Formats: sequence, structure tokens, C-alpha cells
Amino acid sequence: MSAVGFALAAFVLVTAVATALLRDTLAVIIVFAAYSLGMALLYTLLLAPDVGITEAAIGAGVTTILLLVTITKTTRPGAEEIFAGVNWPAATVSAGLGAVLLAISGSIPAENFLGGTTPVTGAAGTPGAGVTGHYLAESYQQTGVQNSVTAVLASYRGFDTFGEAVVVFAAGVAVVLVLHRGDFL
Amino acid sequence: MSDLNADADPDDVAPDTPDFDVEYDVSDTDADPDDDADVAFDLVRPYTESEIIMTTVRIVTPFVLTYGLYLTFHGANSPGGGFQGGALVGVVVLMLAFAFGIQPTREWVGSGLMSGLASGGVLVFVGVGLGTLALGGTFLEYGRYEPFVGPDATKWGMEAIEIGGVSAIVSGVIMGLFFLTAAGYEKAGGEEA
Repeated sequence: MSAVGFALAAFVLVTAVATALLRDTLAVIIVFAAYSLGMALLYTLLLAPDVGITEAAIGAGVTTILLLVTITKTTRPGAEEIFAGVNWPAATVSAGLGAVLLAISGSIPAENFLGGTTPVTGAAGTPGAGVTGHYLAESYQQTGVQNSVTAVLASYRGFDTFGEAVVVFAAGVAVVLVLHRGDFL
Repeated sequence: MSDLNADADPDDVAPDTPDFDVEYDVSDTDADPDDDADVAFDLVRPYTESEIIMTTVRIVTPFVLTYGLYLTFHGANSPGGGFQGGALVGVVVLMLAFAFGIQPTREWVGSGLMSGLASGGVLVFVGVGLGTLALGGTFLEYGRYEPFVGPDATKWGMEAIEIGGVSAIVSGVIMGLFFLTAAGYEKAGGEEA
């Protein structure tokens, strides 16, 4: 990863910690939007523009607006201190969980449908091997679209995408029901 | 947003105005920040008329809408797709609401469009999937449509679920979530809270 990448990763880390530590709700929402924007740039730098666009639109845009609208509906406690106190037991558990996930993602091989095994984080180093290479090589011939991500989403994993779309729809219906409204007003 | 610091009970605010239009009255241009009554009123009115925001949104909106439609319709051959494009199209409405008031935008969009987009998208997705089942294939086996739309059936099937399905669901639900959150909880008697 380049110097820009490390700078972005540091920015994301700082904003993530600030989101957890800041006491004022409005400040947290603004810093969280900055975090999402940093993640969007990082995804783009890591050659995942589809995920980057989603993060920028949903994470930095829609989520921020929904949270802002929500805090106008609630009371905002006056903040004497800038930072909230750190809950050290919880912080220790979180750090431990993060370390375990990092260790697992780097070591456990994931089986793919071609019968081989691909390390979860090592796929980029083995072009042409494993499920990623199969999609990159075959998706245009098999589906006729040039964006392999769309090919995987809408064709190879079409049923999963159907589930995701219905989950989004169900979320909207759930909010209508929770807020005791008959419709999207 | 500094008005949010006002420590006021929301139930004490404008008790004689159950009509939602009054809370979002855009004609109220009293900009005196020291007026205590106005501050308390702003607690339930997350909209402040701002020339800067209105001008910015007026300039930016056409580009965002165009980019959202481009992502939706060109997502098969470039980065993007129904989810990203639908999100941007939904965000356009959110920006309009922030600039020109939530209640006028809500009336301009209409609840029928939002629930129609969301549920229509699910119906399109299910329809395309069940259609292939009816033609003897498996769920979303687009190749079964080849007798009807030609050799590019897989591509057209994917475009159909991305444009008619996913992007419609996402844009409809995003608009709906925003207006629902802005409207808030409604008690059984129809009272706004």
C-alpha cells in the first residue's frame, strides 16, 4: 500500500477512535461521516470502486442525514467535557476481538468451488487461481457484462442479491410499523 | 444546529398545533437567534431556510441525479450498479428536503411513489426470477429468456433486476426512511410525538 494508503488508514483509525470517544452527539455524527469518507477513498485506492461508491453514498451521505434528523427529534445532552471516559474492560475486549479477527482472516484458507483453497487475504497475490480468477476470466463470456462485480451480484449470486434487496425492503416496512404509520408519509 | 442545545420539553412546544404543516412552516423567517420562543420552536423543526444551502443544492442536484442514473443504467459495464445508483437517486430527494423544507418535499414526492418504488422493485425482482422457473429453469436462470429477447438474455435479465429491482427498492426505501424519521413516532390516537 502506498503512502497515501497509509495516510488514509491512519485518518480512518483516528476518526474511528474519535467517534467512540467524543461526547457530543453532533460531533460524533460529523466525525463518523469523515470516517466513512476516508473508508470510501480507501476502498477506491484498493481497487474496489463499487464498494467505495456505496460507502460514500450510504455511509457518509444517507446515514449522516438520518442520524442528524434523529438527533433533532431527541434532546441533546449538554457536554461539559469533550471526551467521554474510556470503559477499559470493554476496550480490552474490543481490542482482543479485533486481534483475533485479524489473525483468523490472515491464516484460515477458504475453500472455493473449484476445489482449491485460497487464503482470504492472499487472493490478490495469486491471479488466475481460485474463485476470483475464475470470475475475472469467465464472467464476460458467461454473462455478457463487463463489470465482474455486477456479474457476481446479479448472476452468479443472484439469489443472495434477491435476499439483500428484500432485506432492504423489509427494513423500510419495519420502520413504518415501529413508528406506527400506515405508509411512507 | 446550536439550537439543539435548548433544554426544552418537546411536549411543551406548540401544544395547539397538532397539524404537521405548522411545525415545518417555511414562511417563518424569524432569524433572531436570541429569541427564546423561537429556539424552543426549532427543536421540533429540523429545517432552517438558508440561501447558501438552497443555492448549493440547486447547482449540485442535476449532477448528482445524472450520476445516479448513470451508475444505475451503466452499472453492468463500469463501476456502479443498482444499489449505488438507487442510493444516489434517493439522496437527491434528501438534499431537496434539506434545502427547501421536509414537508413541501414530502408532498411533492408523495408516499405513493416511495412505496410504489420499494414494493414494485421487489415485484420486478420476484417476477424475473419466477419467470425463469415458469420456463423450466432455476430461479434467475436468465438464459431461459433467450427465445424472447435474443442471445443477450443473461445481460438483459441482469439489467432488469438491477434497474427495475434493486435500484427501485433502494431509492424508495431511502426516501421513505428519511421522511419517516423526520415525521417521528405516531401514537395510537394519531398524535404526533
